[in-house]
Order: sequence, then C-alpha cells, then structure tokens
Amino acid sequence: MENLVIEGKKAHGPLLGEKGKRILFDVLTNMILIFFALLVLIPFYIILITSVKTNLEASNPEFSLFPKNGFHFESYKNVLSLHPLIGRSILKGFLTTLWINILPTVVGLFVSAMSAFALAKVKFRGRNFIFSVMMLTMMIPSIITLTPSYLIYSELDWIGTPLPLILPGLFGSGSCLFFMRQYFLGLPDELIEAARIDGLKNFGVYVRIVLPLSKPALISQFLIIFIGRYNDYLGPLLYLANSDYYTLQLALWNNLGTFINDWPIIMAGCVVALAPLLLIYLCMQKYFLKGIAISSGIKG
Amino acid sequence: MKKELTPFEKAHRRKLLKTDLAGWGMAVWPLVGFFLFGFLPLVLSVILSFTDLKSYRLSEASFIGFDNYRSLFSDPNFFLAIKNTLFYCLSMPISLVLGLFIATLLNRQLKGKKFYRTVFFIPYVCSVVAVAAMWKWMFNTDYGIINNVIRFFGGAGIPWLTDPHWFRISMLIILVWSNTGFNIILFQAALANISKSYYESADIEGANIFQKFFHLTLPAISPTTFYIVIMGLIGSLQVYTQMQVMANPAPFGPDKAGLTLVFYLVYVMRDGLTSMGMGLAAALAWILAAAICLITVFNFFFSKKWVHYD
Repeated sequence: MENLVIEGKKAHGPLLGEKGKRILFDVLTNMILIFFALLVLIPFYIILITSVKTNLEASNPEFSLFPKNGFHFESYKNVLSLHPLIGRSILKGFLTTLWINILPTVVGLFVSAMSAFALAKVKFRGRNFIFSVMMLTMMIPSIITLTPSYLIYSELDWIGTPLPLILPGLFGSGSCLFFMRQYFLGLPDELIEAARIDGLKNFGVYVRIVLPLSKPALISQFLIIFIGRYNDYLGPLLYLANSDYYTLQLALWNNLGTFINDWPIIMAGCVVALAPLLLIYLCMQKYFLKGIAISSGIKG
Repeated sequence: MKKELTPFEKAHRRKLLKTDLAGWGMAVWPLVGFFLFGFLPLVLSVILSFTDLKSYRLSEASFIGFDNYRSLFSDPNFFLAIKNTLFYCLSMPISLVLGLFIATLLNRQLKGKKFYRTVFFIPYVCSVVAVAAMWKWMFNTDYGIINNVIRFFGGAGIPWLTDPHWFRISMLIILVWSNTGFNIILFQAALANISKSYYESADIEGANIFQKFFHLTLPAISPTTFYIVIMGLIGSLQVYTQMQVMANPAPFGPDKAGLTLVFYLVYVMRDGLTSMGMGLAAALAWILAAAICLITVFNFFFSKKWVHYD
C-alpha cells in the first residue's frame, strides 16, 4: 500500500521525471568535474604555450593564449644544449638523475622484496622482530636525520658526490617492504612448497618463482620509488649543489636564477622535466593507482 | 645437568638453525640499512642538539647543554616559522574536503570517469620544482595569466608574490592544487569499497541524501580520512621546496612569509652555519619531529572516537 503511494507521487511529480532528474544530475556532475579538470590542465597548457613564445611576446602584459608571432623553439635549444656560461643543462641534469637513481631504485626494490618474501613466507625465529622494527622506522620523520647525516657524509668526504643519495637506497625501505609483504602474503603457500620440493632453496624460490609472479607489484613500487627520487630536490640540493653532478631538479632551479625573466626558457625547462614523467604516468597509470591504494591500506 | 639430545633432536635443531640463518640472511638487509642510515644519525642527532658545532667537523663540537633549545625559543624567526607552517597546514583540510567532494561525484556511473581520474592525479607525479616554477609564472604580477584574467574582468592586478598576505594565499593554492589529486584517488577507492546493500537498506528506511552521507558514507570511509589527515599534516609540516622556489630572490619571501620550519632548518645548516650552527639545526629538527609525533599520537587517540574499522 505504502509503495503504491510513493509510486503515485513520483508519477505526478514536478516537471522532471526520474530519468530527467538523472540526466540533469549527470550534466551538473560533469560540468563540475570538467571545471576541476580544467584547473588541473590549464597550467600545463600555459607552460607549453609560453615555452614556444619569444621572450618579447612572453613579456607582453597582454597574455596571449596562442603565440601570435608563430612557434619558436629557441628556448628548447637553449635548454637542451650546454649553456656557455654555466656549463649545465636540463638534458645533462636528466641523464645525471637517471644514472644516480636507477641503481638504488632497482637494487633497493630487489632487497626490500627479498626481505618481504622471507618475512611473509619463510618461517624463522625473529621475523616478527624485524617486521616490527621496520614498521617503526616508517614513523620516524626523515627530517630528523638531515643534520647528523650531513655531518657523517661530510666526515666521510662524500659531500659533492652522489654517494649519500645512492648508498642508503640500496638497502630498501620500510614502506616498500610493507607493500611487497602484503602482496606476497596473497601468494599460495603450496606454490612455494612445490618449488622447495623441486630442490630450490629460499633464494631460488624468490628469484625464480616469486619475482616473475610479482611483476605488477614490482612495477608499481618501481614507479613510486623512482618518481619520488626523480623529483627529489632537498637531497641533491644538500649534497650536490656545488658539484658537477647537477640533477634535473637542481638544473631546473638553476634555470630560474640564471634566466630571470626569460620565462620561455624556464618554461621549456619545465616541459622537458615533466614530459618523461607524464608519459610514464599515462602509460602506466593503473600501476600507480593500485600501488597508492594498497600502500594506504585500501584494497585496490 | 643438561639433557642429552637424541640424534633426531639434534638434526631437528640444526635444521631450525639453518632456516633461521637463511631467513635472517634474506630479511635483515633493510634493517641493516636503517641501522646505518637511520638509527646512527638519530643517536648522533640527540647528542648534536646539545653541542655548539659551527662547522661540518664533528671533532670541533663541545657540549653546551640546552642552550640551542633556549636560543630557539627566543628566536623570532623560529616563531614566525611555526606560525607560517601552521598556516600552510590549512591546505590539509581544504584538500581533504575538496578531494572527498570530487571523489563523491566520481563515484557515480559516469562516462568519463577514467579520464577524470587520470587528470586529477597528474599533479601528484609532477616535480615540485617544475610545479612551483609554473605557478611562479602564472602568479607573475605583470605578465602572469591570473592577473591577466583579473584585469580582463576589470579588476586590478593582485601582488600575488610580493605582498606577504597574498604570498601565503598563493602558496596555499599551490599546495591544494598539488595534494588534492592524491586524496581523490584514496577517497574514490574507499567509496567504491562500500557495499551497495547499505545504501539500499538506507533507501528503504527513507534516509535522505545528507543522512546517508553523514551516517553511512562518512563512518565507512573514516579509516581513509584518518590516513589522509595524518599524512597530510605530516606533509604540510615539512613543506619546503615550493617555498624555496617561490620566495626567491628575497631570502624567505615578502616579510618572510615563506619561512617554514624546514626552510629555516636548511637555512641554519647552510647559510647560518657559522652564526647558528649544526647543533641548533639538530635541536630545530627535534622540535619539529616532536610536533609530528605528537600529532600522530594525538590523532591515534582521538581517532578511536570517530574512526570505524570493520
């Protein structure tokens, strides 16, 4: 009886029926979402369009959304070649960033995952201890070790070398360990037992069986760690600012000071620095989103 | 007297020991890394904060007790840094609410859902330096796009980066722009995990959209909200790079509006070495770390009141 009344109300409802309301709501939702999407995207359009303007046009108080004097790529030439005054370029910074970070990312990931595998699938005494301590380390704000680490590296004469940025990373990290352990716990025990019966030792099981099975998790962690390191600014600033190992972020920062008010060059630098990241992100985004969701405790 | 072990027991023990060794051999490396690069510096940091070291050579340090802490608490720059840092923490609640709002919109059956999600997450992968440079250009008083738009609609250009109040607001905008995408992704995953049946039974009971949101959705996603609050606060307390890029060429921005705790810490370590010293920097880091721990602990206790785990 009650249901009937409600149905009746709907049938004689206001101007819009249930379907009309839905469409209106969808349109509204889309409009709001497009508004926010534009807020995210417009800045990227601005840097792109500024980078192909001449400096004269960029310094015009009237901002043009399209280059009136045609496209100019001098800024990119400037950014990609060695600057005669400072001998530093975005391209060189990019290569430095790559070689400084690839090794610690790959080795660190391998080590974290190895530890995570042992903690998840090998029953040995003390594994709870190792896991608890590693969890605790995640709570310590990294800022606290900044000053003493700098002193230690200074005593070791490592300032001005990439060693302070490479060595600690080789040992893996608590967050990566946590993530990989979560993933390994989901692997069936029978699989690992079967491999042991076939004569593989723990390390063999890890390298031959577990790693090939964990590609999605590994890719996701690789991306998160590598992009974090690629974008790191404070570390290189402290340890490499007065050295030849200028990383990409330092080179970008340097551009801001060297080309004051030559915005097309600064913006071209930003485009070159951001493009590889955006490309990787667009191709691999499912790994990113899954990785983020899992490490925050939400099942992806 | 020790009990004699049978050969079988001996073999069993040997096997156990072997598994232990194998396990530790594989699992211990991150712990070793933490000991060398985390624990040792941590201990050194405590000691350091009680010394007057004004160079990068440890042998030149001598103990001065609590002097570093004392001089920090009489340092106007330190209090300004706290004030500014707390102001920038406002970015957390703003991007939390905005993130939840957008995630709620995204949680419906929409055509372009994937597209929107991809777009919103973009700022998260971008380098902070590049993003700061980008905004520095857009906030430019004379040539920037933002003032251009304002002038187009007949307003007067705003001194975004040269006036201390506007500088703070600009930085807040940048922080919200950078952080909201992360919250959207987390909230969206959390919202998608809520079982549809809850909403169906709420519908049968005649709950309206607000009742459903406050009594059903919010409690269900509270663990995610909790995570975002903690991570957001910890992140905001350590804001640095954006400030350093935007504040240039003035040392800390107009009227030192960009002076945050980490900015000050790095300044003390580099430029203020001979006047303030590494001991002061260590003390500063400890105060900041204590604040972070306090917030985390406080949140954990407080969370029992509003966070619901299944």
